[in-house]
Amino acid sequence: MKLWHSFSKELILSSKSWYFYIELVMAIILLLILLFVVPEDFDSKGKEYIYLDLPQVVQERYAKNLLEEDLDEITEQAEVKAGGSVFKARLYETEESKIYLLDSLDALMAISKSESVPAVHVRANEDNQVIHTYYLQGYETVKLKNLLMVYHNRLAAHDVIEEYAENIPIRSLYQGEEAFNDRENLIPVFLTFNGSLMSLFIIAAYIFLDKSEGIIKAYAVTASSVWHYLLSKIGVITLTSIVTSFIITVPVMGLQPNYAALVLFLVTSGFFVASLGLLLTSYYKDIVESFGAMYIVILIMVMPNISYFTPSWSPDWVKIIPSYVMLQSFKEIISVNGNMSYVLVASLAFAVLGLDIFVLANHRFKKTLSL
Amino acid sequence: MKKMIKVENLYHSYNNDDNYAVNDVSFEIRKGEIFGFLGPSGAGKSTTQNILVGLLQLQRGEVEVAGYDIKHIKNKMFNKIGMSFEQSNVYGKMTGLENLEFYRKLFDVETREPMELIRMVGLDGKENIKAGEYSKGMKHRLTFARSMINNPEIWFLDEPTTGLDPAIAANIKDIIRQENEKGVTVFLTTHNMHIADELCDRVAFIVDGKIRLIDSPKKLKLEYGEKLVDVEYFREGELVKDSFSTVAGGGKDRLVDVIRNHEIQTMHTKEATLEEIFISVTGRGLV
Ligand SMILES: Nc1ncnc2c1ncn2[C@@H]1O[C@H](COP(=O)(O)OP(=O)(O)O)[C@@H](O)[C@H]1O
Ligand SMILES: [Mg+2]
Repeated sequence: MKLWHSFSKELILSSKSWYFYIELVMAIILLLILLFVVPEDFDSKGKEYIYLDLPQVVQERYAKNLLEEDLDEITEQAEVKAGGSVFKARLYETEESKIYLLDSLDALMAISKSESVPAVHVRANEDNQVIHTYYLQGYETVKLKNLLMVYHNRLAAHDVIEEYAENIPIRSLYQGEEAFNDRENLIPVFLTFNGSLMSLFIIAAYIFLDKSEGIIKAYAVTASSVWHYLLSKIGVITLTSIVTSFIITVPVMGLQPNYAALVLFLVTSGFFVASLGLLLTSYYKDIVESFGAMYIVILIMVMPNISYFTPSWSPDWVKIIPSYVMLQSFKEIISVNGNMSYVLVASLAFAVLGLDIFVLANHRFKKTLSL
Repeated sequence: MKKMIKVENLYHSYNNDDNYAVNDVSFEIRKGEIFGFLGPSGAGKSTTQNILVGLLQLQRGEVEVAGYDIKHIKNKMFNKIGMSFEQSNVYGKMTGLENLEFYRKLFDVETREPMELIRMVGLDGKENIKAGEYSKGMKHRLTFARSMINNPEIWFLDEPTTGLDPAIAANIKDIIRQENEKGVTVFLTTHNMHIADELCDRVAFIVDGKIRLIDSPKKLKLEYGEKLVDVEYFREGELVKDSFSTVAGGGKDRLVDVIRNHEIQTMHTKEATLEEIFISVTGRGLV
């Protein structure tokens, strides 16, 4: 009962504080970014621009080969804009790339300049040798240049290339599932940072505000426990993070996510993070003093983002950073056939860890009441 | 007489070293009495009170409050305790009334009507203003009012009138007396001799974490009264005023010394104030 009174009071208080509105506004801004700034499907296919400066017969052979690889086996007529002029091109879309066959060297040069992409000029010399001229942009690595050279010296290096190509490990981010579009792919990141990690700062802000007012002392000399006070704070913050997470998720994902799992996970991971925030604040008098520690926590928590966007970099130590588990869990939650056992285990782990930290934080707070 | 507070050999060091803010303090407070800690700022008054209400952890010594051993503080104990803080601490974002309404829900016992308390401390008409907009004195009165909300049996008051203007301070003193007449035991701290003199049944003189003396102001004055000598005398050509106790602190010897070696202008005995007694006992002033 006293816990309920404390909770409802915290709720009223937070509705009067601007942190609460900052969180709401943040969520709305993130949503707007998702809806209007991030394109739903970013075109990830590489583009190649080729000009074949070859006899008609050879050109047609080449084109025919391309056509066989084309997805719909139809040549599209395309127009490419570059440097103020429009050039006609034949577009072949293969599985890996979009290939534009251009009509003139001028077009090739103009596009290479304006698009800042490498372009290839293919021609035959007097001895009927095919010459590939690459117009590079200057940022290509020596490795790529070497590769191109080796590539054209097939006889010498064919085996090497093939062996190498076969041994390149390819890790798929979404095994057996449909890939997210870019918008969806950002949701776990936003949820992790808006929902869970913001809790760390907001709770610290609330606690330091109360510390500066001496509120905790007043609370400590009532028949209510300090942990009621702390838990009500966590409760309010978790509630806010559920609201803001829904603001971000619902408009983008519709009914696809498992919302029950989302709420469960927000509660457990929020509890964990907020307890961590409590523990941190118990060591400092005011928010300024706590900056150093907060900063370190942020740095660590941001690390898993790298591995989220670059799955080939995911050393084991990154996987035990809580935000890694959060990113993965949110991903599972919003996927069509998400791995719910992972989410459940993660929730359980966060609940247990959170409880331990909470008990510790409560102990620390009781010890430092007069600060 | 039932003891409401028992403190034996209490020590406290903020840095866990030999630098004690409270140094071997022992005292008892009887039911229904107003007991005061009188001492200059930094003497260890608040530290002692904070240990007694569990805000500071007990390091060494035995403390019993309202029958509870404070080594193992129980929430229930706080139903019997009220605490008014030296520095007011209320929710700035809530109104005065809301502050009290919330606070009363944190106890398991019958609580007082917030409006009644607000009227008592003269904040009526201001109850719907956010406490953050209150003046310092108003916040202090709200903190004071809040400490009564659970009808405490033991009432801790840390500097209850410090920083208040005289009219309001007089009002606060009246409230303390009224509540005490209803049977509330009061433990207050102050560096103001008038408060100690007018309110306390017994006072403890405390300096540098040590209690130097515990007695009733009345007895102290009887004992030290008439036995304080005010002397005006010439020292190196200048007229000097000084007081000497003939009871404590080597005052007698100094007085003899002055009479023997200097020309005396005037000399009277007089009733000592509590502050003068404090000075002659502890060798220190109250500020
Ligand atoms: N939080 C604290 N940390 C370290 N020292 C403190 C703290 N609070 C008080 N002190 C020191 O303890 C001594 C007693 O202080 P306090 O009990 O507040 O005195 P009083 O209430 O009599 O003015 C003082 O020397 C003060 O500087
Ligand atoms: Mg004090």
